[in-house]
Amino acid sequence: MSQDNIDILQRALKREKSARKAAEKILEEKSLELYNTAQKLKEANEKLELLLEEKTSQLQGVFENINDAYLIMDLEGNALKMNDAAIDLFGYDINKEKLNVIDLIYKPDANYAFKSFRELRKKGAFTDYTARIITKDKSIKWVHINASVIYDKKKLPIAAQGIIRDITEAKRTASLIEDQKRKLAKSNDELQEYAHIVSHDLKSPLRSINALVSWIKEDNEGKLDAASLQNFTLIETTLEKMEQLISDVLNYSSIGSEEKEKINVDLEIVVKDLAKILYVPGHVSINILGPLPKVKGYKTKLQQLFQNLISNAIKFIDKDKGCIDIEYKVLKNYYQFSVKDNGMGIDKQYHKKIFKIFHTLNESKNSTGIGLSIVKKIVDLHDGEIWLESEPKVGTTFFFTLKK
Amino acid sequence: MKGIVFTEFLDLVEHKFGLEMVDTIISQSELESEGIYTAVGTYKFSEMLQLLKNLSTNTNISIDDLLLVYAEHFFSVLKESYPDLMSMYKDPIDMLASIENHIHVEVRKIYPDAELPTFVVEEKTNNSLIMVYKSNRAMHHFGLGLMNKTFEHFNSTASIVLEKIKEDGTEVKFIINKN
Repeated sequence: MSQDNIDILQRALKREKSARKAAEKILEEKSLELYNTAQKLKEANEKLELLLEEKTSQLQGVFENINDAYLIMDLEGNALKMNDAAIDLFGYDINKEKLNVIDLIYKPDANYAFKSFRELRKKGAFTDYTARIITKDKSIKWVHINASVIYDKKKLPIAAQGIIRDITEAKRTASLIEDQKRKLAKSNDELQEYAHIVSHDLKSPLRSINALVSWIKEDNEGKLDAASLQNFTLIETTLEKMEQLISDVLNYSSIGSEEKEKINVDLEIVVKDLAKILYVPGHVSINILGPLPKVKGYKTKLQQLFQNLISNAIKFIDKDKGCIDIEYKVLKNYYQFSVKDNGMGIDKQYHKKIFKIFHTLNESKNSTGIGLSIVKKIVDLHDGEIWLESEPKVGTTFFFTLKK
Repeated sequence: MKGIVFTEFLDLVEHKFGLEMVDTIISQSELESEGIYTAVGTYKFSEMLQLLKNLSTNTNISIDDLLLVYAEHFFSVLKESYPDLMSMYKDPIDMLASIENHIHVEVRKIYPDAELPTFVVEEKTNNSLIMVYKSNRAMHHFGLGLMNKTFEHFNSTASIVLEKIKEDGTEVKFIINKN
């Protein structure tokens, strides 16, 4: 073999060796790469499995723990899965017997049920389905159902699930409350009528007494001594007060009737008119600070509200110069009014009591103790509140709110 | 370019012209790899161009003809290495028409970084196929050799006409008619 040939062979051999080593290196790197990729995949897989387990256990927990009945059915309505609450509610146990939800439909509600079922198929869900069902033991129950369709990966509907709440008890309670409300309204009406009749019946003997007293006085003119005359005057005053008392009771009992609809009432006009009608002594001034707002309410009642508060203020002014300020401010949902006087004031301990009927702090012939009760009742009627701030000998401010 | 193209090429050169020719064309070329190739490696295409050019000079055979012969050899390598892929086809026209959508997809599974030519099917009947080859390597004759062998594999023949769409051979139309 020539030296040239040997050289060629040697070079070829050297290339082959180098190529083998290069290949081995490349393959080693590839193996490592593959190993690392496999490792990463394994880790990712473990993580996914863990996540899946977690989700499954969460779902299982929800399934078991919800208080409401939970049911999965196929698209033909055959129950596939239900929780204990569902078994309790329906009386059927699908582990022991077959159940199709159609069996649960209460006949008179069937049209509504099928309509809702169609809606479920069409829109994929329905909410607030409320109807009756008939359970295995033939009892009828009211249920509230929210349902949705379950889709597979390709978005094809495969089943439906629903959460069913037993509202039988709530329905019964609601109808009971409705009943009670009706009864209460009726007895309220009767009471009002009764008060009305009684007041009228009480007034006529009073008038007779009044007439008799004046006849006795006329018949015995000049024969009665001063003390008797004084007593007759007292009888007349008492009768007058009695009459006033009955009128007020009549008034009080009629609040809440008469006007049916709330209307927009311009209080500026109401109060200005009042100031003209009311007897306001010369030493008392009434100041309306700023134009008063319009509120939704019962006009004559609102008029009475201001009338009672203003005349109350006038009554208790003991200063040489009386001053009554009426103003208001705007709150979020209410108007807050105030009627402030510089009268004799009310001791703190009476602040709550004075709104109760027949409670008067001051025995005077004009005071029956009903005025503030009426005020309270009118404020209640307008969803408002009333309270007062007062300092004895300095003055009193009544605050009340009226809903906007 | 994948190493298997180099190793098979040099094997064929050794087989046809002897080890001396292999030694000659490697030493005449300026090769970054120093002529050390392994099937699993990847090398510059310019090395293949130099080897082909030097082989052409030393043998007085045109590069196109060298590529044609090399392709015919390469087909047998493929047949031996990937018999399953071959057995999926019953017809040469079907097999050629699916280069792009099937065979090259399989190639990428093994060699993700392979730079493959594209073969776009323009017309296909039971007995004819028109495809456009596109590659900046301009190795259309390598394709032609593989096609010839494909028909041979299915015991048939075809007349294949090459129409250069671009003068440099980077875009060529293959008009294939089965005989």
